[in-house]
Amino acid sequence: MHQILLVGFYGLITALATGLGAVPFAFVKRISGRTAALANALAAGLMLGASFGLLAEGSRHGAPQTILGANVGLLFVLLAHRWIGHGDVSFGEVTGAGARRMLLIVLVMTVHSFSEGVAVGAAFGGGTELAFLITVAIAVHNVPEGLAISAVLRPEGTSVLACAGWSVFSSLPQPLMAVPAYLLVETIHPALPYGIGFAAGAMVFMVFLELLPEAFEDAPRWLIGILTSGSMTVMLLFQRIL
Amino acid sequence: MHPAIVTLLASSAAATASALGVLPLVGRARVPERWIGWANALAGGMMFGTAFALGAVEGEAAVPAAIGTLVGILFIAWTHAATGTEDLSLNRLGETGPEYGYRVALVQTLHAGSEGIAIGAAMTVDLPFGLFTAATMAVHNIPEVTVLAAVQRSRSVSLATAALTGVATNVPQVFVAVATYAIVSAAPGTLSWVLGLATGMLANLVLVELLPESYRQAGHTSIAVVASAALAMVALLIGWVG
Repeated sequence: MHQILLVGFYGLITALATGLGAVPFAFVKRISGRTAALANALAAGLMLGASFGLLAEGSRHGAPQTILGANVGLLFVLLAHRWIGHGDVSFGEVTGAGARRMLLIVLVMTVHSFSEGVAVGAAFGGGTELAFLITVAIAVHNVPEGLAISAVLRPEGTSVLACAGWSVFSSLPQPLMAVPAYLLVETIHPALPYGIGFAAGAMVFMVFLELLPEAFEDAPRWLIGILTSGSMTVMLLFQRIL
Repeated sequence: MHPAIVTLLASSAAATASALGVLPLVGRARVPERWIGWANALAGGMMFGTAFALGAVEGEAAVPAAIGTLVGILFIAWTHAATGTEDLSLNRLGETGPEYGYRVALVQTLHAGSEGIAIGAAMTVDLPFGLFTAATMAVHNIPEVTVLAAVQRSRSVSLATAALTGVATNVPQVFVAVATYAIVSAAPGTLSWVLGLATGMLANLVLVELLPESYRQAGHTSIAVVASAALAMVALLIGWVG
C-alpha cells in the first residue's frame, strides 16, 4: 500500500475505534463511573508508553527540537481546551445532561482529535513500527472517548447506531490531520523532531489533563496505579520487541 | 574515585538537598495549598521522566525489564496495602494525630527506598547517567520535603526540625542506592531486572502518592502543565546525557 494511503488508513482505524465506545450501550442504558475510570486508566498507561516511545525517537533526531515541539503540543491542547470553554467531561454527571452538553462533548472530542491525528502522521516519520504502536495506543484511547460521548447521548434517547456515528465523527480529524502531518515531516525532514515532540507533548498533556483526573475520581488510587503503570509497561515492552 | 563511593556521595547529596524544601516556608507558618499541589506535580513529573529514562536504557533485555517493572508496580501496591497506607492522604494540613505523622514518615521512607534503587541501577549503567539520575532525584526531593514540612509546620514544628525530618526520610535512598549498585555490579545479569523494578516502582509511586492529591489541591489544568513539562524536560535531558 502507498505510504500516504497507509497513513490515512491508520488514522481511519483510530477514528473507527471510537465507535466501539457505543457498543456497551447496546446492552445497558448506563455504565458505572468505575468502569469508565478503569478504561481511562488503561488508556492513560498506553498513551504514556506511546509518548515515551515518541520522546525516545524524537531525541535521536534532536532533543531541543523535540522538547520545543512537545511544549507546542502541550500549548495546543491547552488552548483548544480554553477555546471550547472548559468542556471538562465527567462520567459522573451524565444524568440530566441537555442538548448543550451533548453538543459540547462532541465538540470537545472533535477539537482534541486534531492533535491525535498529528501524532499518528508524525509517528510515521519514525518508522512504520512506531506508527503502528502509536495508532494502537490512540485507538485504544479512543474507545473510552466514544464511551464518554455515548454516555451523554444515549440517556437523551439517541440510538446506539447514532451514538457510534457521533463518536466516529468526533475522531474524523485524525485521518484528516494524519496525512498532512506525515507529508510535513517527510518533505521537510528537519520538521520531524518538532512533529514527534508535538505529538508526545499533546498526548502526555491529555493524559494528565483528562484521563488521570477522571480516573482518580471514580476508582481507588491503588487500582488506577496498577492499571496505568501496567498498561504503560505493556506498551513499552511492545516498543522494545518490535 | 571508586564508583561505589560516587554512588554513596551522589545519593547522600540527593538526600541532603531535600532540606532545601523548607525554604518556601521561611517567614510563614503555612503555604497555600496550591503550592503543595504544584510541588507534588513537579516531583511527580520528574519521577515519571526518570522512570521513562530507566525503562529506555538501550541494550537491556526487554522481557526481564518488563517483568521487573511489573514486580516493581505490584511491590509498591503491596507495601501500601501491608502498611494500611493505600488511601492515605499525605498532605493533611489540619488537625492530625501522631499516628498520622508516623504513617506519613513510613510512606516517605518506602518512597525514598525506591528512589535509591533508581540511583543505584542508573550508576551501574554509566557514571554520567547515574549522576544525572541522582541530580534529578535531588531536585525532585526538594518539593517533596516542602510538602512534608508544610504538614509539620501546621503542627508548629520548627523549620530546622522539619528540614532534619526531611533529610531523615531520605536516608534510605543512600543505603538502598549503594546496596543496589553493589548487587548489580556483582551480578551484571540482574541489571535489566533492576532497571525494570525501579521503573515500575517510580511510575506507580507517582500515580498512587503524588498525583491524586495534587489534582485536588491545584486543579487539573495547572497540575497537567507542571507535570507534563517536568516529565518532558527530565526525559529529554536524561536522553541527552545518556
